[in-house]
Amino acid sequence: MLDVVLPILIFAALALALAGALRRIGLWRQGRAAPVQLLAGLAAMPRRYLVDLHHVVARDKVFANTHVATGGGFVLAALLLIAVHGFGLESRVLAWALLAATAVMFVGALRVAARRKDPPARLSRGPWMRLPKSLFAFSVSVFLVTLPAAGVLPAGFGGWALAAVLALVVAWGLGEMFFGMTWGGPMKHAFAGALHLAFHRRPERFGGGRSTGLKPLDLNDASAPLGVGKPVDFTWNQLLGFDACVQCGRCEAMCPAFAAGQPLNPKKLIQDMVVGLAGGTDAAYAGSPYPGMPVGEHGGDVHSPIVLREGRALVDADTLWSCTTCRACVEECPMMIEHVDAIVDMRRHLTMEHGNTPNKGGEVLENLAATDNPGGFDPASRMNWAADLDLPLISARGSAEVLLWLGDGAFDMRNQRTLRALVKVLRAAKVDFAVLGNDELDSGDVARRLGDEATFQSLAARNIATLAQYRFEHIVTCDPHSFHVLKNEYPALGGHYDVSHHSTYISQLMAAGRLALGQWSGGKVTYHDPCYLGRYNGEYEAPRNALKGIGIKVVEMERSGFRSRCCGGGGGAPITDIPGKQRIPDMRMAEINATGADIVAVGCPQCTAMLEGVVGERAEVLDIAELVAAQLAAAPAQRVKEEVTA
Amino acid sequence: MNDIVRRDPRSEWIARNRLHPEHDAVLARMGGGAPAAQWMGPNGVIRRDPHAVGFIGPNGIRRIDRSGAQSAGAGGAARREAAAAPARRRVDIDTPAFFIAVVADMPGGRLSAHDRDLLGLARQLADAETDGAVLLVSFGDPRETGLGEAGVDRVLNFAGEQFEGYAPELRLTALGGVERQHAPRHWLFPDSPLGGAELGRRFAARLGERPATQVWQIADGRCTGRGAAGASDITRELPRIVLALPECAEPVADTVHAAEAIAPPAALPQALRRVEDLGAVAVDPAGVALAEAEFILSAGNGIHDWDGFHQAARVLGATEGASRVAVDNGFMPRHRQVGATGTWVTARVYLSAGISGAVQHLQGIQQCDKVVAINTDAGCDMVKRADLAVIADTGEVLAALVELVEGGRKEQRNAA
Amino acid sequence: MRREDIKQVQGLKVAALVSVGRHPVTGRPRRADFDARAVEMGLSLVAPENMSLLHAGECSPERESALRGYLGMGIGALDVLDQPPEADIVPALEARLREMGARLVLCGARGEMGEASGLVPFLLAERLGWSLVSGLAQIESVDGDSMTVLQALPRGQRRRLKVRLPAVVTVDAAAQAARQSAYGPARRGELRRIEGEVTPDAAARDWNTAPAKKRPKRLKIVKAASARDRFKAAAAKAEGGGGQVLTGLSPQAGAEAILKLLREEGVLR
Repeated sequence: MLDVVLPILIFAALALALAGALRRIGLWRQGRAAPVQLLAGLAAMPRRYLVDLHHVVARDKVFANTHVATGGGFVLAALLLIAVHGFGLESRVLAWALLAATAVMFVGALRVAARRKDPPARLSRGPWMRLPKSLFAFSVSVFLVTLPAAGVLPAGFGGWALAAVLALVVAWGLGEMFFGMTWGGPMKHAFAGALHLAFHRRPERFGGGRSTGLKPLDLNDASAPLGVGKPVDFTWNQLLGFDACVQCGRCEAMCPAFAAGQPLNPKKLIQDMVVGLAGGTDAAYAGSPYPGMPVGEHGGDVHSPIVLREGRALVDADTLWSCTTCRACVEECPMMIEHVDAIVDMRRHLTMEHGNTPNKGGEVLENLAATDNPGGFDPASRMNWAADLDLPLISARGSAEVLLWLGDGAFDMRNQRTLRALVKVLRAAKVDFAVLGNDELDSGDVARRLGDEATFQSLAARNIATLAQYRFEHIVTCDPHSFHVLKNEYPALGGHYDVSHHSTYISQLMAAGRLALGQWSGGKVTYHDPCYLGRYNGEYEAPRNALKGIGIKVVEMERSGFRSRCCGGGGGAPITDIPGKQRIPDMRMAEINATGADIVAVGCPQCTAMLEGVVGERAEVLDIAELVAAQLAAAPAQRVKEEVTA
Repeated sequence: MNDIVRRDPRSEWIARNRLHPEHDAVLARMGGGAPAAQWMGPNGVIRRDPHAVGFIGPNGIRRIDRSGAQSAGAGGAARREAAAAPARRRVDIDTPAFFIAVVADMPGGRLSAHDRDLLGLARQLADAETDGAVLLVSFGDPRETGLGEAGVDRVLNFAGEQFEGYAPELRLTALGGVERQHAPRHWLFPDSPLGGAELGRRFAARLGERPATQVWQIADGRCTGRGAAGASDITRELPRIVLALPECAEPVADTVHAAEAIAPPAALPQALRRVEDLGAVAVDPAGVALAEAEFILSAGNGIHDWDGFHQAARVLGATEGASRVAVDNGFMPRHRQVGATGTWVTARVYLSAGISGAVQHLQGIQQCDKVVAINTDAGCDMVKRADLAVIADTGEVLAALVELVEGGRKEQRNAA
Repeated sequence: MRREDIKQVQGLKVAALVSVGRHPVTGRPRRADFDARAVEMGLSLVAPENMSLLHAGECSPERESALRGYLGMGIGALDVLDQPPEADIVPALEARLREMGARLVLCGARGEMGEASGLVPFLLAERLGWSLVSGLAQIESVDGDSMTVLQALPRGQRRRLKVRLPAVVTVDAAAQAARQSAYGPARRGELRRIEGEVTPDAAARDWNTAPAKKRPKRLKIVKAASARDRFKAAAAKAEGGGGQVLTGLSPQAGAEAILKLLREEGVLR
């Protein structure tokens, strides 16, 4: 009897799955067109899956093995199931292989079940809780129905009653694994995830590459939407990406805004986008909500606004403005979903269509348009801090080896100390450098993160035009935000430069022996990785090397390197200032204090400002440039003699 | 002290007589303790003792102060002071050849500093030719007593309840009456928001005259006023109607004028009243926008007794502000945050209580005139910035301040 | 005050006169602050469709982008009465306002370029024979032929007025700040250029305009009898620089010192 029932079940499930797949593809295709290489993407997909995705999953070794066993076992079992039972291929070898595959899958399912026994808060519940049972149903039932084919049991063993029961269990397994894959069950992640990897909007990220710059809007195209106001305004592969979410909650565990109790949870946000894609409400969502916001009150569909000016729709504006764009979620996501892109896309709509950037946002954007800096300072006073330093202007010289990009920290009294230290270091190393002076404008970072693409592009275009007038080999800056924008976001607008962060440049100077430095004799030092230097640009080593160069042994924090926690200063978060239960810099300072460090070394004006804003007992905040410059003073006397002779 | 010189012929005689046994004592008494350096000799010749001149300076050298301030007795100083404040010259203009009319704001019935400057300007214009007179046009109950000292020759007051409050249309018809009766050569208005700025512009529009606005200088028949929101200076022939800024001229200081009241025009045409004043609206000082506030009491991390702080703000009539920390800790709403990351304030007096003064905070109070700090830490940046700093427990000082102010009010009430 | 607090008035036609502003620091053209506040006040009263924007002046590309700033507040179109810089814009505005049939005209208290005398609203009200109120903080309600408004007095005080319609009102810094100007609506909005009669401004021809000179700070004039006193007054160091720090005082003594300063500054009432 099973000989007859099984092929019917298998092909029925496959047919339904195919129908579901077509429907799902139809949903994704509601999105806007995107430049994607379909065939090349599909061809690259297995490698992306097995290498890049596994690389992220493997940060949790136990679960990586579980996933290999379960997922690998299932894929193999499914293919063999179709061959052995669907087409009735009579091959002992295949049958034994199928038995082995289901056995492996069973072992994996055991681990999945164990994890689901007392799941951590970041995991979604709901249908996900039944997944281990479904995995058992599939693996056990397929194992059993394959035993006769493998010759272990005689055909017709157990009679029709057992066969009927088995057929039912197979049906359950097939239902979850095949039908559910394309109709929206937990297994959807396998189908959508595979295609998402194939048609990813940042294919550069695979194979060890890095792609973090935001994609520009074409402002000359009057018909293109300014950002994303409705789910259909996303590109189709973004929608596909949302569907790939496996709700593992690793993003949630890393998100600084979530931890601070601000109304953002990256996982929920992606699930809300899925709700928007398919239509309905978020009532079925079974994970952690946005802090302070009950589940079930939001909903929408693909053609409705995501955020309403007043009242509730799919997402509240505060959720989008809570993000610090620290990219911790993107870095952690095993499905390589691009949360930050989506958030900035929606912010673009809020700023450029609604004109609704919260709190000081509007003022900052107005300042940027009128004075080219977010503080509204007189652009002619950008160099006032360096009146006594006699900095060489590149406009007077035409060329220099290093162009020192000052950033808007030039207007900030605290950052001016860092800049002075950096100038001191560069002079000590006899670096041929120059500055743009008052010709420098804000890089556009804040404008872009706040969604004001028009102001960003205007600033960028004018900066690129200024830079085009001069010859220089590198740009060095002590602001990772400017660094990221100049390095990763100006190329799309026609500006290609060799940009280094000052820590990188200083560590190069040290390696070349151009700095005579004393040895650190102060207290314990820890290092805080700026998001825009670390996760955005992969520079984790150079700052540590620079500190090592002056004899500092860095005491690492629990969250450091690619898992460093944001200071709360990115993405315009201090400007939009969405209230939470606590402040992100306070949490970060608690982590710093937990190391027992006396000093926290930083490499970013934003981080300095945020961490120094923490009241109470705290470690001293010093920029790497300041630490290095302080050791210059302790350098041997011959350096002074050289300066005199020179 | 009266200025009459009292002479004592006997001591003068002793002073002249060096051989008199009381000679030294009398000289000392007359010279305010120090031996007298000069006196009238017995035969009427002034005698000087060069050794008694001057005093020994801090480094042991004799210093001679020839201004006389040092050796002058108390009586002499009073006499000199009386001489130093010269009596104002009295100027009376009996038959004015022309009028320069000034429509003063007179808040509370008294001349404001702006009004006085304007009267000084009017004086210049009136005195440019002989017998020009300054005509002050005022509304409501006059309480000012020093109009003559301010340079006013004639006063034309429109008294009556109907002119009080906001009655621009009525005032406009009144000015029209003055125009018909006296035809002043120039009309001067203070360019002050809701005062002369509005009335002057209304009046100019009514007369069809092009006024000069935001004027800050008048010289040689030309006036210079600000244009383009203060970004440019426009110089032109002096028109009939001028709206002038504060400090457009020095107030009158040397003369005193008659300030003679003249009767307002008898019959004014009925004004069409399209705007009705429904009265002042009670505004809670706590509700005033920070950027607008004139007096801010701002709280920081050093405040522990928040009820006491709110009470102090209420009693002082101050608008509440806060440092970032106080806002972050949830004690104050975000829109009360002062500083570069909050609101940039322009208060005349900024009273900071328990704020240590982060850079961003100090940036935000750059434009404040007077900064007062109450803090326990004498070394903090806010104390360095403050014009007056009190190093004490913030809560206690605020409580004492509340007590003082309330006590003072009670006394006033009892006295009244 | 929140925007939702105000009920939108049906059937009221509101016009706002807008001009090209000038940023105080960089001098770049922008939305004039007071004018933008006037538009904001209008939007709190009526739907954007019932709100018309009117500008009289030139329309160069630079000025156009500043004018589009007003469209970015969510209004579909802006009428530009084409007027050369040396024209008197009042007759043209008057004619246009009569034509439009607006019952309420909102203006910024003054412009940020040119003469910026703040006279236009007064001249318009006089010529049209409408009511005029200046320095509005808020329009509380509009019913039939009159409206109730709050006028801003110094130090955040308010006065309630009842004003007969039609009316011209002016708005200054006390009114609610203008909403952010959004790029999308600003780009899509329509600038309708309207040719009109040009009246030359003859009076302004002889004027001499120069960048603002810094005004001298008023000196304290000392009337002193002796040369020594005059010299001492002139040579006296400017006050300020390093304030007074009172340590070791009782709270009462500290409070008295503060109170003295508060009284001197006249902020206590």
